[in-house]
Formats: sequence, C-alpha cells, structure tokens
Amino acid sequence: MKSGKFWAWLTFGLGAAYFIIPLLATLEFAMRMRRGTYSFDAFAVVFGDPRFQQTFGYSVMAAIFTILLGVLIVVPTAYWIRLRMPHIRPIVEFVTLLPLVIPAIVIVFGYIRMYGSNSPLPFLASARGTDALLVIGYAILALPYMYRAVDTGLRTIDVRTLTEAAQILGAGWATIITRLILPNVLIAVLSGAFLTFAIVIGEFTMASLLNRPAFGPYLQNIGANRAYEPAALAVITFAVTWGCMSVIQMLARFAPKSANRPD
Amino acid sequence: MATISLSEPDAAHAAPPHARAVRLPTQWLGVAPFFLFAIFFLIAPTAYLILGAFQTPEGTFTLGNLAELWQPTIRAAYWISIKVSFASAVIGALVGLAIAVAIVRGGLPRWVRGATMTFSGVASNFAGVPLAFAFLATLGRLGLVTILLRDIFGFNLYATGFNILSFSGLTLTYLYFQIPLMVVIITPAIDGLKKEWGEAAATLGATQWQYWRMVVIPVLWPSFLGTVILLFANAFGAIATAYALTGSSLNIVPILLYAQIRGDVLHNAHLGYAIAFGMIFITGMANVFYIWFRTRSERWLK
Amino acid sequence: MTETYLSIQGVQKSFGSTTVVRDFNLDVGRGEFISFLGPSGCGKTTMLRMVAGFEEPSAGKIFVGGKDVTNLKPNQRKVGMVFQAYALFPNLTVAQNIAFGLRVAGTPKAESAQRVQEMLKLISLPHLGDRYPYQLSGGQQQRVALARALAPKPRLLLLDEPLSALDAKVRVSLREEIRSIQKELGITTIFVTHDQEEALSISDRIVVMNNGRADQAGTPFEIYNRPATRFVANFVGTLNVLEARILDAEAGSVDVAGQTLALHRDLAPKRNGDTISLALRPEAVSLGRTGERTGALDATIADVHFLGSVIRVRTKVGDSTVSLDTFNDPTMPPPVSGAPAELAFAPRDLMVLAD
Repeated sequence: MKSGKFWAWLTFGLGAAYFIIPLLATLEFAMRMRRGTYSFDAFAVVFGDPRFQQTFGYSVMAAIFTILLGVLIVVPTAYWIRLRMPHIRPIVEFVTLLPLVIPAIVIVFGYIRMYGSNSPLPFLASARGTDALLVIGYAILALPYMYRAVDTGLRTIDVRTLTEAAQILGAGWATIITRLILPNVLIAVLSGAFLTFAIVIGEFTMASLLNRPAFGPYLQNIGANRAYEPAALAVITFAVTWGCMSVIQMLARFAPKSANRPD
Repeated sequence: MATISLSEPDAAHAAPPHARAVRLPTQWLGVAPFFLFAIFFLIAPTAYLILGAFQTPEGTFTLGNLAELWQPTIRAAYWISIKVSFASAVIGALVGLAIAVAIVRGGLPRWVRGATMTFSGVASNFAGVPLAFAFLATLGRLGLVTILLRDIFGFNLYATGFNILSFSGLTLTYLYFQIPLMVVIITPAIDGLKKEWGEAAATLGATQWQYWRMVVIPVLWPSFLGTVILLFANAFGAIATAYALTGSSLNIVPILLYAQIRGDVLHNAHLGYAIAFGMIFITGMANVFYIWFRTRSERWLK
Repeated sequence: MTETYLSIQGVQKSFGSTTVVRDFNLDVGRGEFISFLGPSGCGKTTMLRMVAGFEEPSAGKIFVGGKDVTNLKPNQRKVGMVFQAYALFPNLTVAQNIAFGLRVAGTPKAESAQRVQEMLKLISLPHLGDRYPYQLSGGQQQRVALARALAPKPRLLLLDEPLSALDAKVRVSLREEIRSIQKELGITTIFVTHDQEEALSISDRIVVMNNGRADQAGTPFEIYNRPATRFVANFVGTLNVLEARILDAEAGSVDVAGQTLALHRDLAPKRNGDTISLALRPEAVSLGRTGERTGALDATIADVHFLGSVIRVRTKVGDSTVSLDTFNDPTMPPPVSGAPAELAFAPRDLMVLAD
C-alpha cells in the first residue's frame, strides 16, 4: 500500500515535470527579449503587430463558422439516428471517425485537386469560395469530436419520449429540434464547440495549403523569422487552449447527470 | 416508443406496397445532409487521390506511381515517419497508461486526478506550431533546459548528439500531445476495472502480478491497442509541429507531401497522389489490424 | 458447538478518528454458518474484510484453525469470497473463472478440469462452462462466483451481501441453494447481510451488529425471541414497544398508561419509579384472552388493514401503538376502528429491553 502510493506520486511527479517545464521555459524565453532583464516586450510586440490582429481575427471567424456548420450537420443527424435509424449508427460512427485516420493534409490535397477553378464546383476560384472550403475542411476535422460530444449529450436525455411528448402536444419538427432537443444538448454542443475552437484557432496545414491568411500560417512565419515572439505566441496560444478547455470543464458541471437511457 | 411502434406496423400492413416505398426515402432524408457532406468533402476527395495514385497523367491504369514510392528519398521519409509515429505512440501509450493508473488507483488525493484530466484535455490539443516553439524554447540550443544543464550541471546536451531537429527530438516533442491523449482516453477504461476483481483474485490466492497478467492486461488490451493505433495515426498525419520545428530539414512524409503540393517538387502530380495513398494505406492498415484483432480475440466483449 | 475454528479476539478498527468496529469477539465452530446482520454502516462488512485480510485490525487478533492470521495477506489466507456485484472476471469463461484459484496455485490441468466439472455440477450449471459472464443472468453469475470461491477448497467462505443485487424470487432460491451447498461441504461460512429475514432463515447463529459493536450473538430463535438489546429487538422483526413505570420492582408489577400489569419477575437492579421499555411481538398478542394469554391491556382499535388471510390491527394503549395480526375468520365480523379492545398476551412474552 505504502510503496504503491510512492510509485504513484513518482509517476505523477515525473509526468508533471515533463509537462510543466516546457511551459515555464517558453515563458522564460519569451521574457528574454530585453537584454539583461526579464520583460514582456515580446508580448507587446506581438499584440501590437497588425498581422497578429488580422490573422487571429480571421481564425476566430473561421472557427465560428466551423462551429455553426458543424452544429447544423451533426445535431440533426445524431438526433435522427437516435430517434429513427439506430441501425445505421455504426456506419455514421465509422464515417465520423474517418478524419482521425485520413490525415488533414491528404484531405486538403484532395480539395485542391477536386475543387480547382476548372472543376464543376470551383471553390478555389474566388477568395470567398476558398474561405468556405477552409471552413468545410475544419468542420470535417472537428467532426469526430463534435459528433461524440453531441451523441453523448443525447444519450443523457430520453430522445424518444421527449419527442413523442412534444408530438402529442402538437409540435412540428422545427419546433422539436430548436425548442426541445437543442436546449437539452446545448451544453454538449458547447463543449464540442469550444473543442472545435481550440482545434481551429492554430490550425496550419489546411490554411497554409489553401493560402488563407489564418493564424496558423502566421505563427509559422513568425517562427521562421523572429527569435522571442514565437515563444510569446506559444504562451498566448496555450492560454487560449486552456481557456477553451476550462470552459468545457465548467460546462460539464452543468450537464445533466442522470443517464436516462432509452435503449 | 409505444405510439410509434403501434402505429407503424399498422400503416405498413394497411397501405399498398408503393406507399411503403415512399416512406423509406423520407427516413433517409433526415441523414441525407450528413452523408452528402461526408461524400463531397471527405470521401470523394480521398477517393480522387486514391484513384489518381493508380493512374498515369493520361488516365490509364498503372502501378508505376506506387513503384516510384520505393525511391530512396521517399522510402526514407516513410521510414522516419513510421519510426517517429510508432515510437511516440508506444511510449506515449505506456507513459499515459502509467499516469492514468497512478491517478486512478494510486491512492492520490482527488485534486490530482482532476488537475491531471483538465491539463490532459488542454495538452492533447496543444499541438502544431506553438508546440514546436515551446520545445525550441526548452531544448533548443538556447532553450532553458539546455542552458540550465550547461550552467549548473556542466552538461552539454548537444555534445551528446542530441538535436531537437531529429528523430529523438521530434519524438520527445510529439509525446507532449500523445501522452495526454492517452490519459484522456484510457482513464475511463481503468475506471472500468472493478476493485472487487482485484479482491476476488487476492482471495483466490493470486499475486498482484498474476492478477495483472490474467485479468487486468487482457481486459485493458483492446482499449490500449486501439489507443496506440489512434496515437500512431495522430502522429503520422501531423505536419505543423515538425514543419515549424525543423523547416524541411527532417524529411517526414507529410512534409514531403506538403512540399509536393506547394511546388510539385517531384515533377509528377500522380506521385503526390501515391504518397497520399501510402499515408492512408498505412493508417488504414493499422486500423484494419486493430479491428481484426478485436473481433478475433475478444469474444467476451459484448 | 463443535471445536472453535475461527476466533476473532478483541478486534477493533478505526479509520482516522472514527471507529467502525470496536471490541469484537466471536468464536465460530467448524462448519458453522454465521451471519453478520445490521444496518449499513454498522461495521459488518469491515469486520468481514478484516477476516479476508483486506483491512488490517487496529487492535486484536484473528485466528483460523488455531493459527494467527492477523498479519497474513489476503492471498495467503485461503478464504473464498463472494461479492455483492458478482465480480466475475469478464475476459474468462465460466470454467476459466472457476479454475482461476487452481491455476494460480499451479494445479495440474487434468485435476483442475475435473474440479471445475464438480463445481459446475454443484451449482447445477453443468453445461455453461464455455459461456462468458455477460451471457449469464445475475443469479447464474452469482452461482459461478460461489463455485469460483469454493473451487480451491478454502478454509473459510465469506459472503458479502451476495444476494442484494438479485431480484426477490432468485434471492430466496439462491439463499436456499447456498445453505444446502454449505451444509454439503461443511465449510465454515460468514454471511454479511442487512436483511433480517435472510439471516434468520439460513444461519446457525446470527451476530447482530450496531454502531461497530456486536449487540448480540445467538441462534435465530434466540435473536428473535429474546433480543438482548432494544436495537436488536427493533432491527429483527416487528416490535411493539410500551413505556412502563415500575410500581413494585421485586414483585414485577408495572404501570402502563394507567393500567397495572404483573410481569411475574424480579426487575432488579431497576427500582420502584424507574421507567422501563417493554416489547411484544405482534404474533404474541391477540384480541381477547385465550389459554396462556392471561395478561391483558385495554386498548382502542386505531385502524384495520385487511390483508387476505390475515388482518393487521393497530391499537392504541395510551400514547403507544400496539400492532397485532389475527387470522381472517369468515364467520366473524372484522374488528372496527374506534372500538374498544382487550389485548391479551402471555406475561412471559413481554420482553424487558435493556437500553
């Protein structure tokens, strides 16, 4: 018993060291910009850079559209599967897991070849079209997380009974989805949304290959040309990710606890 | 349930056959947007590349593109990618498992578990370019740990042949998101190990090791293997971290493909398709192996 | 009682500042079936876990077969244990589960296979050896768990609420099966339960535990009919409690709600004027004197519940309630609430409760 506890602490301690030291080192590095003393100059430079503001803003917008698209695709599907077509659930689950197997670079490569200016669907012919394609690609990347979050959320409420109760009271489908299902899985949807946000905000591969002015390519560019700003950017990105995850944790606390499973 | 199941068979019996045929597509309408979306933006683009890998620029069938993957640069790129992905997946899985066991079964205070889970959620998503910056600031030539080792312990890390821009450096960096991902996925599986199993084994005379060998490892093995494969695919497709860390000095497959997409460095578009196909093939095979293993050996799973 | 096989001597267990088992003493004969009965949190499971070796006593010793096992690890104690949640290994078949203890002990394959067959026959599931636990019902799983515990021929069988997770019908049939297997094998057994009916129906002796202490140890008959403490009386069976004031301690006459009762026993060391609690089982009370039931109290019928063959009547004696059951006699009109009644009982059935 005693020795078990010792090993547990040791494992935890070593793990904590591996994960905390790089964070401290990055912070320390970012503060080295002014010679001989620690300062927040690197952060000031970064925040003052108009390209930082533009690319970060662009990525935030992309994330918001990705979340909207994801919710629009995933919530009705997950709901319909639970309600009417549980037999095709394995197929849907398989499809939602594909983005974990097919690398993002392969997917975007396919986009570039399929949706060029000469194709029947010339997404890449205009900047707006390319933005749309980027958002679509992000929605694909976020699909596994979004679907799982929403499906877990639906499991905690009795979809069938709720729907039938609403139908007996005369509600139509639009009402059922917007007034009944969405509010009940709102917390799950929000968890998925913030996870999506964390994935999208610093994404590099797709944005870079589609030539969009997003935050990820900007980071890479700064990394190749500057010394201290990259560390400051890493700290900022980590803080953003941390913020998203804390929101998810807080949401989890409000999620319905009772698992009233219909099946 | 009751109202639907009562009304549906009645309708099916009473209505003529064509009415039934009309019913079916309305059901599918509910999932049509999802499938259209997946087909257009996930399956078709992938299929396009896979088909392209087996075609000449003129459109005739060929295995030549795949054969060309065997040339030394590409072969080396695949090999280093597989090595980094495999090493970071296996080490990440083992370390993640150890941490998960420590926080679930180690008798540590409750806050340790909560803090670890929250942090793992963050770190497993802290990949890409910023992660590379963090490791450069830690273990680069001017990184904090490199300097501290030199100034305090008189140990020159880079004299040992270590380089953050290498196989070992990249593996060490990838572990930063691989370990937390393992912790996040495997902790529920360890929660599923019932305390009574261990007690039952003990009263039956089993040592701790016998209990692990005969019960814990077989029970955890499917989740463990599944996660290792997920981690492998996760590392295999990752490009941002490696690209920001090493530029193009470390020639892993995604970086090679990236360069090909940007500038057709291989002077053969269909060879690019073949590289993409190779990537899907490898992660796909890993999953097929996992599914095969699971159906074959896990008859006790419901 | 036959020779002592398991001996628990002065065992105490504290977690931090809370004591969950205090000064527990018990000698169990070879082949005896003992139940630890009590509400949740009374320390019965902790006591069982100390016998199994999962908890270390803070004080006291435990002997099995004359040997001190207090400091032995669970895997050296040769006890078989059955848990509330079955705890079958999900990755092993029924046969492999039963063989587990034999396998870790290095028993030869043939011998182990034979023993598994015996065990499967013992629990009447001879054809289910190749099934996995998830393919069995709860009752079947618990029988397999029993077989698994018994296969290595343990010195003690410990049952920790083994029936609580099962539905009512299975619970009754399985408890009878457990008892008959236990008798057949003659294995010394401790059975932990919070269900008094279960404990009464299968035990040789019952230890009623309350707040970490063994309030009383005795046969089901003794426990039920002569509860030593107020707690035991209340916990086991239904009980009517009457507050009484002593009029004459030596002669045993008391005052209950203004009526005088003769108990025909010496109430020392209590003195005249002290209050005591008297208890009566519902089945010891009838409406109207008959035969030995010569003691009587005047009461008012409060309400009447018709239960078919039995009529349950609740009556008021002063502020106290006395319940009693009468058989349904179709030729007689049932009692009416509000009517006066005479409660009759044999004076020796009136129990004086210690506090």
